[in-house]
Formats: sequence, C-alpha cells, structure tokens
Amino acid sequence: MQKHNQKEHLYKLLVIGDLGVGKTSIIKRYVHQNFSPHYRATIGVDFALKVLSWDAETVVRLQLWDIAGQERFGNMTRVYYREAMGAFIVFDVTRPATFEAVTKWKEDLDSKLVLPNGKPVPTVLLANKCDQGIDVLMNNGIKMDQFCKENGFVGWFETSAKEDININEASRCLVKHIIASESDPVQSIEPDIIKPHLNSSKAVSCSACFKS
Amino acid sequence: SLIKPGSKPPTTPVKLKKVSTFQEFESNTSDAWDLGDDDDELLAIAAENLNTEVVMETAHKVIQNHSKLQEQHKFQEEHLQEENQVESAELTSVVCGDNRLVKSVSEGHTSSSSDNASENSSMQRSQSLPQTFTPPLASGMADYNTSVTPALTEREASRLDKFKQLLAGPNTDLEELRKLSWSGIPKRVRPIAWKLLSGYLPANVDRRESTLQRKRKEYFAFVEQYYDSRNDENHQDTYRQIHIDIPRMSPEVLRLQPKVTEIFERILFIWAIRHPASGYVQGINDLVTPFFVVFICEYIEEEEVENFDVSNLPEEVLQNIEADSYWCMSKLLDGIQDNYTFAQPGIQKKVKMLEELVSRIDEQVHRHLDQHEVKYLQFAFRWMNNLLMREVPLRCTIRLWDTYQ
Repeated sequence: MQKHNQKEHLYKLLVIGDLGVGKTSIIKRYVHQNFSPHYRATIGVDFALKVLSWDAETVVRLQLWDIAGQERFGNMTRVYYREAMGAFIVFDVTRPATFEAVTKWKEDLDSKLVLPNGKPVPTVLLANKCDQGIDVLMNNGIKMDQFCKENGFVGWFETSAKEDININEASRCLVKHIIASESDPVQSIEPDIIKPHLNSSKAVSCSACFKS
Repeated sequence: SLIKPGSKPPTTPVKLKKVSTFQEFESNTSDAWDLGDDDDELLAIAAENLNTEVVMETAHKVIQNHSKLQEQHKFQEEHLQEENQVESAELTSVVCGDNRLVKSVSEGHTSSSSDNASENSSMQRSQSLPQTFTPPLASGMADYNTSVTPALTEREASRLDKFKQLLAGPNTDLEELRKLSWSGIPKRVRPIAWKLLSGYLPANVDRRESTLQRKRKEYFAFVEQYYDSRNDENHQDTYRQIHIDIPRMSPEVLRLQPKVTEIFERILFIWAIRHPASGYVQGINDLVTPFFVVFICEYIEEEEVENFDVSNLPEEVLQNIEADSYWCMSKLLDGIQDNYTFAQPGIQKKVKMLEELVSRIDEQVHRHLDQHEVKYLQFAFRWMNNLLMREVPLRCTIRLWDTYQ
C-alpha cells in the first residue's frame, strides 16, 4: 500500500563505455537478476526500469539508458544524454584500452550534458568483469581514488555482472549523489571560487560511499 | 507499404471495409507475410481500416496483461527469495516477462534470454506477430523452417513457374523479375533471384557459372591477402570488435557453430577493411545472416534446416556460400553505405523520413510522441541500422528483402 506522504523520484541514468565492456549485462543483472554471455550488441539505445524503495518515505524509479558503445554511434549520444540525472561509465578490467577510453567518455558526457544548476551530472566509474581474475589496474585502490578525484567521478566500484558483485552498491552510491545534488543550490556566478570546495567535499562523500 | 495496420494511402482504389474486431483485423492483415500474394491483395490489406474503439480496446487489454505480468513477476520474485533454489527455466521466464515491461515489444522475441520463453510471454508475443508464426521464438532458423510447406498450392506452383521461366533466360529481364519479386519470391528460386537482383549474377544465363567461379576465386584471394592482417596493429581494432560481436549474434543455431562464426568473421573483416570509409559498424553483422541462411537452404533438405549442421556440408559448398554471401552483402551495402559512414547520415535521413511519414499518416501518434519528448532517433535508429533484423523474425526479414531487392 502506498503511504500517504510517500515521495517518488524518477531519475534518468546513462550507462556508457566502450563496446563489449558489459553495460547491457550490468543492467540485466541489476534489473532482472540474471546473466547471459550472449546479449547482442546494443544498437542505438535500450531501456530498462528499476524501482528502489529508497527509504520509508521515498521511492526511486531509475530509468536506465543502455547506450551503444561503438564509436561510430558517438554522434547520436547527444540525443540520448538529454536530461539525464546521473551516469555510470563502465570499462572492462581485462582490456586496458577500455579504461583509456573512460576519460573520453567522461569528456563527451560533460561537454554535452550539465545539470540545471550548471554542474556536471554525478558519475560513477565501474570496473567490470572483476570476476575474471585478470586484475590489470585494480591492485591500487588509492590510484583509482586519485583518478576519480581528478576526473570528477563521485565514486568507483569493481563490479561483476556475472557474479553479481557491487552493482546494487554502485547504484545506491550514484542515487545518493543525485539526491544530494538535487538539493544543491544553483551554482554561483563565480564558479572558479566555489568549485574547488565543492569538489573536495564530493571526494570525501565518495570514499565514504564505497567504504560503507 | 511497410506501414501495415491502420495506415491507408488515400489514393488506394480499394473500397474500405470497417472491421469490428481486432481478431478480424488481424486475420486480414496477417496475409501480408505469406508468400505469393498479389499486389492488389496487399493494397487491400493496407487499406483495411481498423476503427478507433477496437484499437483502444486492444490497447487496454495489452495494458491489463502488462499489469498482470508485473504482479506475477513480483510474486515470483518473492517466491524466489523464499526458496533460494531456483530452476533456471523458471528464472528465465521471470526475466522474459519483465523484459517486455521495460523494453520494446520487438526486443523480446529474438533475445537469447527468451530461449525458454514462458507460456505467458510467447502467447503475448504471438499476438503481435503474423498468425503463421508459431514456433519457438529466439531461434530464427526454426521459424524460417516452419514457413516451408512441402506441397505447393496451385497458385504457388504457377508463381514458381513464372519465376522459373524468367530465370531460364537466355537473358533474365531484371525489371520483370523485380516486379514479380515485390510480392515475395518462392523459396526454391530465392537464392538465384537474390543473386540476380543484387547485381551479383549477370542476366545472361551462359555467363552465370563463369561469373560465380570468378567472384568466388576473387573473394578467397582477398581472404588470402588480408585475413592474416587481422591482428596487425592497424586492423586489430576492427577485428576485435567483430570478434566480440559474432559470438553473441543471433540466431543461436548459427552462433553455436564455430564454422559459421568463422565464416561471419571473415566476411565482415574483409568487407570492413575494403571499405575504410565506414569500416565495421555494429549491425552490419546482422545483414550477413539473411544471405547466409537463404544460400544455405539451397543445399540443405528442407526437413533438416531446423537443426542444420554446416559440418555436414562439403567444404567446397560452404566456401561457395561464404563467397556468395560476401558479394551479395557487399552489393546491398553499396547502396546504403552512408548508413555507416561518419555521423551515419543515411540513417539520420531515414529516421527523418519516418518522422515525416508518421506525422502525415498518423498525426495523433506523432503528437503523442512529441508531447512526451520521445525522439524518433531513440527508437527507430536500430530499425534503420539493422534493416529491421532485430524487430521481426528472420523469416519475415527474408520476405521483406524479396521486396527490397
């Protein structure tokens, strides 16, 4: 039964990253609780919906936009990014090139999309396929924290769609930041002064987020 | 002519009949997929008018069904949590049911997760598909096969004769063949008709065999020349993308045969490096499938197609199929290359055309989409990029391509 004073949020979330890193698999795991190695290449965009009981008063509906990873489709991303509230950028820990592409995706995202208050959308980095045991980058968590800080990610997670590792956690982290960013005041006219402060406070909440 | 129900070209000289039930409407329209329809009949189908109340009633039923499924999904989920031990088939059915809630109708029936589709979802699907389409979803080969009827009707036989006469030459009149093919090509002559219409084979009968020999040789010379370079630095990106996509292509019966996936990888790699302006773009892999399947049916007894195994075919036959598929796919892509070049202008244009078309023939739908800020690119991109391969069963794609050629 719906409570009388229940709040409902609808957030559009983007899932982006290079081809074959597991974007579709992550979404299928998150929304349908299953896994297949045979999801076909996403063409254009696919959609999924996940409903979260956030707390006693809040229901969060996540509209997940599963965006094709191939470079040729890059021209279409502007149409797909519109009015998103948050994003996951995914790479495949077994393929270093997909990690190198992460900054490219982040730049593409930030150049085409900002929140109504002028800030970039909260973005969480997902190091997927961590079940494969080929840990090319992950040995150094501090380095990753640093990378996130420098590139404006609000957090990062090692995930596995196959083994169902950390996907719920990553999503909660992102939603938490979205809710926080919604209550943020509109950005001041002098962003240069305010930004460093905001960034550092974000970084703190980020590490708290993935330690919990 | 692709816009089926409800759309009536104002110029059609066919009397409009009011249809009172959805079933009636459906039974009238499903013929569009069958082989051997006359153009007049197709026009009559296009002119069928379904009244708004029926549409609304049906839409209402779909929504009700939806909610029921959702409830059921919830229940099953709870059930799962309680039991903790689940049979995989059960799990898959849950997934399928939900799949349909969040994704387009079209996505469900070819996705690999629907292999063990539940009664519910397959029942629901069959409503949106042609009536003749009943077999296990997911496996495109299977549904392709069921369209085969061993005994031809008189009308089918006479159509087949018409095709045979045209094909016999000495010079096939391609315009006449194209006209005849518009309403479907009989299965037995489809391989040769496609090869002729695509421009792969010459109209002159005497030159056909030598052309085939020459082109097949030429293709394998490309393979010889280029395929070893797939791991070179400047080509490995292309190859890797193909190599990621092919093991996850559909239908399953193709994907599961290593010999077939090797063939697809070779065809796509050779095409990609010979067409650097576009290179390999996801979705092009789907365009090999209809050719491959149609050409393979030339060599496989009809009963066997459902579980066909290419390893039963002689190596030489398989090579011929590979080369022919490559060339016909190349011919097809020659005509739509701007679908796959930078910024994909061909697709942008086609999606715009669709938008224009919908705004003219069904303004209500167009306004509805607009009001909800749904962009045509968000849902129609894949239709154009994959030439509907993901949206309709393989059997229907093959039938559609009779008309495209």
